[in-house]
Amino acid sequence: MKILIVEDETKTIHYLRRGLAEQGYAVDYATDGEDGLHLACTGEYDAIVLDVMLPRLDGISLLGALRAERDTPVIMLTARDTVDDRLRGLGAGADDYLVKPFSFLELLARLQAIVRRGRGQEATQVRIADLHVDLIARRAIRGRRRLNLTAKEFALLALLARRRSQIVSKTIITELVWDINFDTNTNVVEVAIKRLRAKLEAPGEDKLLHTVRGMGYVLEPRDEAAA
Amino acid sequence: MTRSIAGRLALMFGVAVTLVSTIAGIALFAFQSEQLRHHKREELGARFQIVERMVKDSIYAYKWPFITAKLQDFTPPDGSLYFIVESPDPRFALRPAALGNAPRKGPRDGFDKTIISGQKYLTLARIVPAAGERPNVRLIIASRSKYVDETETGLAIGIAVMSLLAIAAVAALGWWIARRSLAPVDRLSEHARLLGAENLAQRLPTETLPAELSGLVLSLNDALDRVEDSYQRLSTFNADVAHELRTPLANMIGGTQVALSRNRPASELEEVLQSNLEELDRMRRIVNDMLFLARADQGEVAANLTVCSLAEETRKSAEFMAPVFEEAGVTLEIDGDAQVPIERALFGRAMTNLLDNAVRHGATPGRVTVRIAYDGDAASIGVSNPGAPIDPVHLDRIFDRFYRIDPARFNDGESHGFGLALVQAVARMHGGSVFAHNEPGRICIGFTVSRTERTAIRHDQGQPGAR
Repeated sequence: MKILIVEDETKTIHYLRRGLAEQGYAVDYATDGEDGLHLACTGEYDAIVLDVMLPRLDGISLLGALRAERDTPVIMLTARDTVDDRLRGLGAGADDYLVKPFSFLELLARLQAIVRRGRGQEATQVRIADLHVDLIARRAIRGRRRLNLTAKEFALLALLARRRSQIVSKTIITELVWDINFDTNTNVVEVAIKRLRAKLEAPGEDKLLHTVRGMGYVLEPRDEAAA
Repeated sequence: MTRSIAGRLALMFGVAVTLVSTIAGIALFAFQSEQLRHHKREELGARFQIVERMVKDSIYAYKWPFITAKLQDFTPPDGSLYFIVESPDPRFALRPAALGNAPRKGPRDGFDKTIISGQKYLTLARIVPAAGERPNVRLIIASRSKYVDETETGLAIGIAVMSLLAIAAVAALGWWIARRSLAPVDRLSEHARLLGAENLAQRLPTETLPAELSGLVLSLNDALDRVEDSYQRLSTFNADVAHELRTPLANMIGGTQVALSRNRPASELEEVLQSNLEELDRMRRIVNDMLFLARADQGEVAANLTVCSLAEETRKSAEFMAPVFEEAGVTLEIDGDAQVPIERALFGRAMTNLLDNAVRHGATPGRVTVRIAYDGDAASIGVSNPGAPIDPVHLDRIFDRFYRIDPARFNDGESHGFGLALVQAVARMHGGSVFAHNEPGRICIGFTVSRTERTAIRHDQGQPGAR
């Protein structure tokens, strides 16, 4: 999986390269629009992360020039959260956009979503330790115990199960479970997780649903002894 | 000078008095000169009667020299008066030597004017009918009108000088009166010069003002009230933002410094980073919300409007909030509906904030009611929760950024004091407003959205905060 980052902020490039490399992506980068366009048109990339504000050639123009040649998926990074920027970005052919300051987890989730678009079917069943989630029948069983979940609780569990061992941020949860695309200052996700956890982890059972402070939640079996 | 009110008033007074005094002067002059001439004619007429009787009585040629002698006696040597008798019979004629033989053709009968030796004269002529030896003779008395002319000239000059003096005096007085009347304006501008950001509470004095100015000054003071209010809110807001950002910054700087000051196991460093991340996320949300509010302040309006059922949209927000409601033991009821063009994401944002506010501040367990109804040109969405009434002092201000009824609850984690300000911003972006009132045993807070789609995006209102 190969990603191109076009961004003039070196600190941003630094952490994106590192983070994406650790997730198994090969990362190229360019620090101005013209170099970026050249790389994008000559290299084979699975996705491009493109900043709007760039020296020499801005992101929107770069995208326009790129779209004349290729349809590599593009995620735009915008600094200003205005409607105009969003529309211009999507109108110019961006597949998605993120507003700075964005979280790395969100970028990762969106990259995965974009790259996955072209792929085949997803798994219909997920097994994590003694938890069995049937995504078709919308059923979850822990050991011999069938979990009595509401529709939203199941959607939440299914999301975490599909991305097992990956940290899922609160923003992604609100977006994918409740279809809410704006910042909310509520503690809905915390409460929902707490309620799900109560049903998922009966006393004495291994912990599966873990909170990663400041990041989000992850569903995975952990070796308690090693922790 | 034309820019100065006093100067302009003086000029206008001058013009007015010039006009009036010219008319009055001309009238006075005409009247006086008519009087003068009338007087002169009467005088001439009286003389004429005496002389006429003398001429009438002398019917014999031998007596005529007496008459001429007498008339010559009457004639003053300075040439101010002449007696002339024209007659076909030279025995009954009289012609003063001064006249020479210039005007052969005499003046007309009755009053007339003539010129003798280059001087103007008023004349009175009449035929004395023949009697005895005397044929018809024509008696003429010519009286020099120099005196009248001189008097008239003097009068004209006098009137003109008086008028000019009056004009000057009135203009000067006008200027002085205007200056005096405008003195309050000068005082006002003195006061106005002292107004500034550093003493916002200062107001223009209204006590000693004339009625014409007090209205203006009252309006100005009202405007100053509003400016002061906005300014206060803005500066309080800035201070609050700084405070709100300083706390997490201080935590992060201090925490990181402590962490780096010695070798630590990775797990401890991880903990510091996680703590930092929490603070950073909090800061990110504050910054994003501030940007959102700033956009609303700059007059951005909702775009991508779609006509939606507000009850349906509220239900979606309620579904999202359901875990929190259930956890708190609060039930929700949605009453009524309205079909209104809205930007769904914005509406949802306002709605979740209102529901969050209701469940956070409402008595639990309890029931939160959302009431949706058409209200004239708008649709109103009111969210009410059970609770003790809010002091009216606070009711007006709960939509202010960072406004907290209870300052002790300043740092209560999740909420950072933008919730209801965001509701207000959303309402404004939809051409609506916010409201809050106490009901018996309940508090109702809500907003309205315009029922009409406003396609034009407004880009006026440059200054955020200054509304």
